[in-house]
Amino acid sequence: MTDPKPKRAKERRRLTAGELIVMAVLAILVIAVSFPVLYALLNSFRSYADITKDPMGLPTSLDFSNYLTLFQTTEYGEALLNTAIITAGTLVILMALVPMAAYGIERVGGRTGRWIYLLFIAGLMIPFQVRMIPLVTSMNEVGLYSTLTSVMLVHFGGSAAFGVLLYCSFIKGVPREIEEAANMDGAGRLRTFWSIVFPMLLPVTSAFVIIQALGLWNDFFIPLVFLDASSAGTINVALSRMSGLMASQWELIYTGAIVATVPSVILFAAFQRYFIKGMSIGAVKG
Amino acid sequence: MTDQQVLVKALPAEPPPAARPAPGRRRPRFDRQRIAMLLFIAPAAILYALMMIVPSLQSIQLSFTDWDGISPTFEYVGLRNYEDILTGERFWNAVKNTLILGLGSAVIVNVIALAVAMMLDKLDHAQGFFRTIVYLPALVSGFIAATIWKYVLNFNFGAVNATLKGLGLDAQTRDWLGDHDIVIGVLLFIICFTLGGNTTLIYLANLQSVPQELVEAARIDGASRAQVFRYVTWPMLAGAVTVNMTLMMIAGWTIFDQIMVLTMGGPGFISETMAFFIYKVGFGEYRAGYGSAAAVVLFIVVMATTVIANRYMRSREIQA
Repeated sequence: MTDPKPKRAKERRRLTAGELIVMAVLAILVIAVSFPVLYALLNSFRSYADITKDPMGLPTSLDFSNYLTLFQTTEYGEALLNTAIITAGTLVILMALVPMAAYGIERVGGRTGRWIYLLFIAGLMIPFQVRMIPLVTSMNEVGLYSTLTSVMLVHFGGSAAFGVLLYCSFIKGVPREIEEAANMDGAGRLRTFWSIVFPMLLPVTSAFVIIQALGLWNDFFIPLVFLDASSAGTINVALSRMSGLMASQWELIYTGAIVATVPSVILFAAFQRYFIKGMSIGAVKG
Repeated sequence: MTDQQVLVKALPAEPPPAARPAPGRRRPRFDRQRIAMLLFIAPAAILYALMMIVPSLQSIQLSFTDWDGISPTFEYVGLRNYEDILTGERFWNAVKNTLILGLGSAVIVNVIALAVAMMLDKLDHAQGFFRTIVYLPALVSGFIAATIWKYVLNFNFGAVNATLKGLGLDAQTRDWLGDHDIVIGVLLFIICFTLGGNTTLIYLANLQSVPQELVEAARIDGASRAQVFRYVTWPMLAGAVTVNMTLMMIAGWTIFDQIMVLTMGGPGFISETMAFFIYKVGFGEYRAGYGSAAAVVLFIVVMATTVIANRYMRSREIQA
C-alpha cells in the first residue's frame, strides 16, 4: 500500500487534526463517487420485483442467482470471453510490433526517423470517427467484418501511436554499446533486440501493457461498430444490447456491470505498484 | 504535441545515462544496419498505415461524395456535404453540446483532480493508502457508470425519483434524461462525477516535485497560504495543467459512450455530440459521405484546438 521510495523524505510527525479532517473528506468523496457501482453491487443481489418496487431497498440475503441467470440465459459468458480474447490478442500484436518499430525509428534516426515518428504520432490526434466509415467498408471487402480479428486490428491503429511515443522516449536513453557488443559476438539483429534490448524496456512495457489492457477491456465504440448481431459482442456491447431491449432486466444489467468491473479491479490489485507508477508515466501522454 | 520533457521527468526508474556516439562517427556497415532497422519498422508501419492513415485519407475522399455506405456506386458532389453540415442547425447543436460537455468536463474534472491531489499531498500518514482508494472509482469505465446511471435516473422506477418521492418532494421528480431543458446538465454531471483518477495521479506527482524550500521561503516572507498557491505552486504546476487539459480535451471532443447509453442523442437531436452525430448519420441514416465530411470537420477541430491550446498553455509555463 505504501510507496517504497517516497519522493520527498518526510520526517515522522504526529497525526494532526488537519490530517484527520483531510482523511475524512477524502473517504467521504470516495464513497460518494462510488455510489453508482455500490448501488449496482447491492442490487445485483435483488430480484427485478424488489428493485422496481423499492429502488433504494437493501438486499435481504447474499443471493447469487442473478449471476447464474446472467451466464445461463444470456450470451454474457461468450461476450466476456470475446473481450478477453480482444484484449489479450491486441496486446500480443502490439508487443510483437511496436517496441521493435520504436527501436528501429530511434536507431535509423536523422530526418527519416523523425518523419516516421511524426507519422505515428499524428495518430494521437485522429479521432476514431475519422477512420471509422472507410474501415467498416474495407473490413467488409476482405471478409473480416464482425470478427474479433477486425476489432484487434482497428485497436492496433490507435494504440500503436501511443506505444511508439512511449517507447521512443524511453529507447533514447538505452546505450548502443551493449547491442554493438552483442552484434560483434555474432548474434543476429533480431536476436539482439529480443534477448538484450527488449528486456531493458521492461519499465515502459509494464506501463504500456497495463494502460492498454484497461483501455481495451473498457472500450465500447470500436466493438460496437465492428461486431454485428452475428457475434455475442464484448461485455459493453452485450450490456448495451440488453439495456436496449423494451423489457430490459434491470437485475441482470446491474449484475453484468459488476462482472465487467471485476477483472479491472483484479488487475489493479495484482499490479497495483506498477499501476500507479505506470499511470503516472503513461497517462502523461494519451 | 510531444511532451517528452514531462514524460522523461515523470519516469521513476531512469535508464542508465546514454553514452551517445559522436555525431560524425560512421559504422562501416552503416547501410546494412540502416536497412535492417527499416525492416524492424516495416511491419508496424504497414499495419498502422492500413488501419490509420489510409482510412483517414479515404474519409477525406468520401466526404466529397453522396455515398450511402451500401450501394456500389457514388457520385462526387464537391463541397455540398460541407455546405449542408455547416448550414444545418443539427450540426451546430452537436458542436455546442460537445463544447459544453467536452470543454466543460475538462475544466471541472481538472479542478476536482487538483483539489484531490492537493489534499493527498497534505497527508503525512497513510498517503499510499488514500492514493489507492482515491484511484479505485476510476476502475469503473465511463460506459459502465453511464449504464448504471441510466437505471438510477429512470423516471418510473429509478432510485433518484423514488428517493425524492420518499422525502415528499414529488414536485422535484423529473424525467432526468428525457427533459430537454436539463438533459445536457445531467450528462455533464454524470461525466464529471469522478475524482479524476489518472489526472489526479499526474497532479500529485507534480505537486510532490515542487521544491519545499520555495514554499518555506515564501511562508517566511509572510505569504498567506493562498498567495503561496497563487505565486509558487500554481506556476510550478503549469506543465501538468497543459498535459492534463490537452488529454481531457482530446477525450472531450469525442465523447460518445455516455450519449449512446443514456439518451441516444435525444430527446430528438438535442443531446447529440459530434462523435455521436457522425456515428448516427454514417450508420443509422445511411449517409456515409455526409458522415465522412462531419468526421473531417471533427478532425480539423481536434487538431486546431490541440495545437492552439498547447501553444497558449506552453507559453505560460516556466522553464524548470
